[in-house]
Amino acid sequence: MKILSTLYKEFLLLARDPGGMALIFIMPLALVVVMALVQDAPFRDYQEIKLEVLFVDADADSLSAKIKQAFAASPNVSLVMEKDSIVAKKRVQAGDFKAAIIIPQNTSAALRNKTRQLITTVFADFGLPAQADSTPLPGVDLKILFDPAIKANYKQSLSGAVEKIIANVQTAWVLDELQSQLGEGKPAPPKRDFKLTEIVRVSTQYASENKFQGLMLNSVQHNVPAWTMFAMFFILYPLAGNFIKEREEGSMLRLRLISGSQFPVIAGKFSFYFLVCLTQFVMMIAVGIFVMPWLGLSKLALGGDALNIFITACAVAMAATGYGVLIGVYFKTAQQALSFGSVSVVILSAIGGVWVPVYVMPEILQSLSRFSPMSWGLESFNDLFLRQASIGVILPNVLKLVAFALVTLLASVVIHKSRTVV
Amino acid sequence: MSIVVRLDHLTKQYLKAPRPAVSNMSFEIPEGAVFGLLGPNGAGKSTTVMMLCGLMRPDSGTVSVLGLDMQEHGAEVRKKIGVAPQEIALFPTLTAHENLVYFGRMYGLKKDEIKRQIEKYLSVFNLREKAHKQVGTFSGGMKKRLNLIAALLHQPRLVILDEPTAGVDVQSRNMILDFLTDLKAEGTSIIYSSHVLEEAERICTHLGIIDEGTVLQTGTRGHVMAQHPDCQNLEQLFLKLTGKNIRD
Ligand SMILES: Nc1ncnc2c1ncn2[C@@H]1O[C@H](COP(=O)(O)OP(=O)(O)O)[C@@H](O)[C@H]1O
Ligand SMILES: [Mg+2]
Repeated sequence: MKILSTLYKEFLLLARDPGGMALIFIMPLALVVVMALVQDAPFRDYQEIKLEVLFVDADADSLSAKIKQAFAASPNVSLVMEKDSIVAKKRVQAGDFKAAIIIPQNTSAALRNKTRQLITTVFADFGLPAQADSTPLPGVDLKILFDPAIKANYKQSLSGAVEKIIANVQTAWVLDELQSQLGEGKPAPPKRDFKLTEIVRVSTQYASENKFQGLMLNSVQHNVPAWTMFAMFFILYPLAGNFIKEREEGSMLRLRLISGSQFPVIAGKFSFYFLVCLTQFVMMIAVGIFVMPWLGLSKLALGGDALNIFITACAVAMAATGYGVLIGVYFKTAQQALSFGSVSVVILSAIGGVWVPVYVMPEILQSLSRFSPMSWGLESFNDLFLRQASIGVILPNVLKLVAFALVTLLASVVIHKSRTVV
Repeated sequence: MSIVVRLDHLTKQYLKAPRPAVSNMSFEIPEGAVFGLLGPNGAGKSTTVMMLCGLMRPDSGTVSVLGLDMQEHGAEVRKKIGVAPQEIALFPTLTAHENLVYFGRMYGLKKDEIKRQIEKYLSVFNLREKAHKQVGTFSGGMKKRLNLIAALLHQPRLVILDEPTAGVDVQSRNMILDFLTDLKAEGTSIIYSSHVLEEAERICTHLGIIDEGTVLQTGTRGHVMAQHPDCQNLEQLFLKLTGKNIRD
């Protein structure tokens, strides 16, 4: 069969082209590993990172105990004890820690006294037996020191959290004080724990289509499909390169001399590079699953729907191959084809969210990303890997990829035909 | 005797070229002939060959090969003719054998036929030992011979060879000419473009002498020579017709 023979011929040509082989199989591996390692920290910054905060407890009383207790339960912050506030300040300045919470001596006492004074004043205002006391109390400064490089949202949430804990403690103490002052001279009623925080609970979770929870876009989860996309589109380099070489070396003339129809020639080439793309895909996924954990990164999660993943991979492979064929057919010299081709792939990958996820890009680029076939593929893989999307969800993107493939192939055939006869 | 090729007022001018590469060219080639398409460099031989095999469209005029118009039936005709273009048309990183197998496949030949043909021609052209070496490592003569084999695999009725001996050593050239003599004896028609006149004298039955895209003289070799009784040989006649100016 002519298509199969061409496929085998393409295989031989590529196998004897070390540069092409390296571009197809080594470069993507290097890229995905390096990028996943480099972007590991920034991705942690976006989300799952555990913030280490220095804690200087000069108070050593109930308020500081409460703060410690609250952060101990937090999944996002871990406190590191430090005795000396000056040392703490230095370490934050040095960038060892992103923040330090400094609770000065007698903070609990001051808060307690202030609370008592407040209640007493209120009682006196209502004519209840109490001694109004308006002596000004000394204030205390609870300090949170931040590394200037800390992200604004961390700063806010950390100080918000501390303020919230103080407010809670104060509320509890107000109630305590009320109970004890109202009960003055009477047998003490049982102390109650009002558990205020249990009335309105705020719970957070990721909005996701189904029950599958807890998977976040981490470095591996972003970079593996992203650079797979890049690698697949980059096959235009050997593909278009070979195409033009065949034209220049005359073997394409031989094929034109042999028969009327160029269909088997193009179809064989297309099928071969389509299979190359799928091989790249499998290889990159394998790296995500087996190599990434070994490098101390997380393991690539696939979601689980193998069929949908296969369909998407095929759609991307078609689009990438179609694009490569078009570049090879359209440009007259290898120089033009390869420089235009690789620059265009880099641009399509940048706006397609390969280098950084689309959602952290400026608005204008986000709207541009809709035009990059790589973003269609990437979106589909994120849908499948992170959200176990159904075929219905990925279908629009898959169809766009297939349509892209058909349009590029059709254009290639038309252009190739128009140049066959001069 | 039937006509295998008929050119009728063929004209072709390349884009941006100051004058046509082929201008109002007409001639006929009878079946079984070895037709020498002779002319100095730039005379229009390769352009004529490309139009003969339908890969270039004439601006005006018609080409008919094996009785079929190339404009309409190009693909069909190409299955029956074998063309060895002037430039090597092979995959340099495939071996000689791999090149030929692939081309045989693309001709639509059966596996055992491909095998038989390849064995035969590799021996004929003394390429057997190099069969499994990559073509890129071949000498010019070896490439030319292989290029020729690629045109013969499907046993065409008409073989068109564009300067098959250019850049080839004496042994290779001799081998090719001997082979063409045998091929003619089997009844295959041959179009042989060249500017080497001793070769033409050795194998051609018919001549077409062209220059600047036009036919200067055509007919059987005897007929052409008879037109110029003052010329002792083909070279004198050629110089008389095309002038002594050096061509690029
Ligand atoms: N692709 C081309 N574009 C423009 N001019 C060409 C092209 N190919 C050939 N020519 C010109 O056409 C003329 C005939 O060329 P060609 O058919 O190759 O001659 P020959 O094969 O007899 O040496 C020459 O003047 C040549 O410079
Ligand atoms: Mg020529």
